[in-house]
Amino acid sequence: MERRNFIKTAILGGIAGAVQLKSNNLLAGEKMSVSASNDLVAVMGGEPGEMYKKGIAAMGGISKFVKKGQKVVVKPNIGWDKRPEFAANTNPELIAEIVKDCLAAGAAEVTVFDHTCDEWQSCYKNSGIEAAAKAAGAKLAFAHDEKYYKSVPLPMGVRLKEVKIHESIIDCDVWINVPVLKNHGGARMTIAMKNYMGIVWDRRFWHSNDLQQCIADCATYSKMPVLNIVDAYRIMTQNGPKGKSIEDVQNPKALFISADIVAVDTAAVRFFNQFREMKLEEVSHIGIAEKMKLGTTDIDNLKVERIKIG
Amino acid sequence: MNYKILKWVRVAVSLVFIIGITAAFIFFVNRESALFSQFLKIQFVPSLLGIFSGGAVVFVLLILLTLLFGRVYCSTLCPLGTFQDSTTRVANLFKSKKKRRFKYDKPKNWIRYSVLSIIAIFFIGGVTAPIAWLDPYSNWGRVSNEIISRVEQLLHNALSNIFPEAIFFRSYAHFAVGSFIFALLFISAVVIFSSLRGRLYCNTICPVGTLLGMLSKISLYKPKIDESKCNKCGLCVINCKSQCIDLENQSVDESRCVSCQNCMQVCKRAAISYKISLRVKENKKNEKLEPASNERRRALIAMGLVGTALAAKAINFKPLLSSKPKITGIAPPGAVSIDNLKRNCTACYACVSACPNNIIQPASMEYGLDGVLLPVLSFKHHFCGYECNMCTTVCPNDALKPMSIVDKQLSQIGEAQFFQEKCIVHTDGTDCGACDEHCPTKAITMVPYGEGSLYIPSLNVDICIGCGGCEYICPAVPEKAMVVYAKAVHGVALKPTEDKQEKVKVDDFGF
Repeated sequence: MERRNFIKTAILGGIAGAVQLKSNNLLAGEKMSVSASNDLVAVMGGEPGEMYKKGIAAMGGISKFVKKGQKVVVKPNIGWDKRPEFAANTNPELIAEIVKDCLAAGAAEVTVFDHTCDEWQSCYKNSGIEAAAKAAGAKLAFAHDEKYYKSVPLPMGVRLKEVKIHESIIDCDVWINVPVLKNHGGARMTIAMKNYMGIVWDRRFWHSNDLQQCIADCATYSKMPVLNIVDAYRIMTQNGPKGKSIEDVQNPKALFISADIVAVDTAAVRFFNQFREMKLEEVSHIGIAEKMKLGTTDIDNLKVERIKIG
Repeated sequence: MNYKILKWVRVAVSLVFIIGITAAFIFFVNRESALFSQFLKIQFVPSLLGIFSGGAVVFVLLILLTLLFGRVYCSTLCPLGTFQDSTTRVANLFKSKKKRRFKYDKPKNWIRYSVLSIIAIFFIGGVTAPIAWLDPYSNWGRVSNEIISRVEQLLHNALSNIFPEAIFFRSYAHFAVGSFIFALLFISAVVIFSSLRGRLYCNTICPVGTLLGMLSKISLYKPKIDESKCNKCGLCVINCKSQCIDLENQSVDESRCVSCQNCMQVCKRAAISYKISLRVKENKKNEKLEPASNERRRALIAMGLVGTALAAKAINFKPLLSSKPKITGIAPPGAVSIDNLKRNCTACYACVSACPNNIIQPASMEYGLDGVLLPVLSFKHHFCGYECNMCTTVCPNDALKPMSIVDKQLSQIGEAQFFQEKCIVHTDGTDCGACDEHCPTKAITMVPYGEGSLYIPSLNVDICIGCGGCEYICPAVPEKAMVVYAKAVHGVALKPTEDKQEKVKVDDFGF
């Protein structure tokens, strides 16, 4: 190669690299500046798909968050080998509706996965999510082996400084966090932030290094979800997060959407409190996250839209 | 009778069986279908051990088959037999024509009857381990699980690298070196035997072969040489992989003949064929070698052995010989007790390869010396799935009794113990709850602890089933705070509490 050509290539490459970096920044900036018509939307009284449609419309539509040609990840909670009526996993109809909506908005591909606790194939199958997501046009990613995870630094983390995150999150353009609302023996509640435990490989480390701090630490990962959609169609109010019987489930038919993970968790806890006493301070990862500037618990000062169906 | 057709029918059936049995040990086949596990039940030792739980029909059929036509089991149904025939064929490709020829060989009675006697004595005394080590089906199971299924795993993972989105990766973490070496040594020995001497294993060591051989002495149809037709060309002898045709005396040793019909098929003069022999007297030359009374005696001994073994099984002898160290091994669900497992399990690993969580592993010393190789649970990489009863459904013996999911969810295979001084909540003063999260029966609940807002596990062993979820996930190092201990005799847990709660109706969002 001639020297001139080499230099040319090098310079062009350098510019391309810089642009690449910049585009990432731009993307992050764009995400922050999404001028949603509402900060938080709460829906009640409908079927999962129906509530999602009303809710996302009130957020300004999915195309505000998912752009044409983007690789999207929809991350439900599929932790347990339980059928949908046990409320241990995110509602499959909701997942299907979100997948369809993303594809309709022009997403290049939509991936669904979770690092399950019970045996993964049973979880994918019996949760109903594998079938629903595939039918909606998503692909299911494998997440049962360490080989599917890559290490990323968490510079803002207090206890968790580095974490192995699933490759499909690392490789995607945007991801949507879709937890189910449940009580939790260790973390008190498992909602949006706690749902990050399904994108990482080593959860034991969290449990032995101040669980609540680690949950907040992981939420500092630079690629934040563009949306957090909390499934409260069925909720687990006791014996969570796995649950024992149908007796653990309440059926409030609700849904919460926000780009602010702290706000949506706060809203969900306050909603949950109507079924069983749960103080926001007890779910301490929410307070820690607010201190780490990941969002606000002051939802009374946000622009909230409440939608009731029927 | 056209022996060519008969022979090809035998070959076809034997291929169906070896493929069906091997498939039962291959990962994704057994995951989706219990069909292949049914093949395992049509085997001699499993039907003998499972005789009081559904094996009886197969057992009686196999005995009848032997009394009619000799060792059809050995040539047609036994996967190890078919494997040896294939090995012989492959080995022949590398041999000169002359070297391919079999010769008549004298029976090694001393070895085969000693092996059978020792095994019988142990078995009647309640110790099954020696059968487990030599039973051809169980060995084939181990070879399938440890070697064939490993090869399949390597191929699967190679494909998963080529098609990462369609084919998932399977972890290599679950690998028991001891049983792999056992299977490797065994199959190497059998490969050497069969490539040099045909069915040498079957006629010298295999206890099933020896036992069925004793019965074959009085079977109705036997291969006979018609002296008027035979011109002693020796074609039958050089094709007899059992090396049991004695042309000099024009006799066939039925106890070693595996009824493969090779001789009948190659004989150009139809001089050798199945003949009804109601009494063991026809061949006078044969009598010089083995008096008829001797043959009948042998068959009677065989029947006596089987009868005694069954009687011993029926009255459920406790092992006479059993090392009694501290039992640390947790037996899979359906095992009833570790004694029951030792009496009935031949370590074929049907359960090991069926377990979707890969937690059933070959034991080293967890059950003591007489429990080496038996299936034992390990919670190192996973725990026993609450909604799963796969292992109990695939066991062809009586070792793991079939259990419905509902029964299995109450079956106490072990019992958890909580060591508070090792618990993260106690040592670090932070939230954890990993064990509570995984407990399927809520034997573990979180209760308030200390001054602040901490919660610590509390354990109710009455509803603990020993699934190992808590032990597996407990993050405490170096020693876990939740440990599941084996129950030598499995128990029945109390039903989980109902925890009725009022169904709340809300009209408001609460904010």
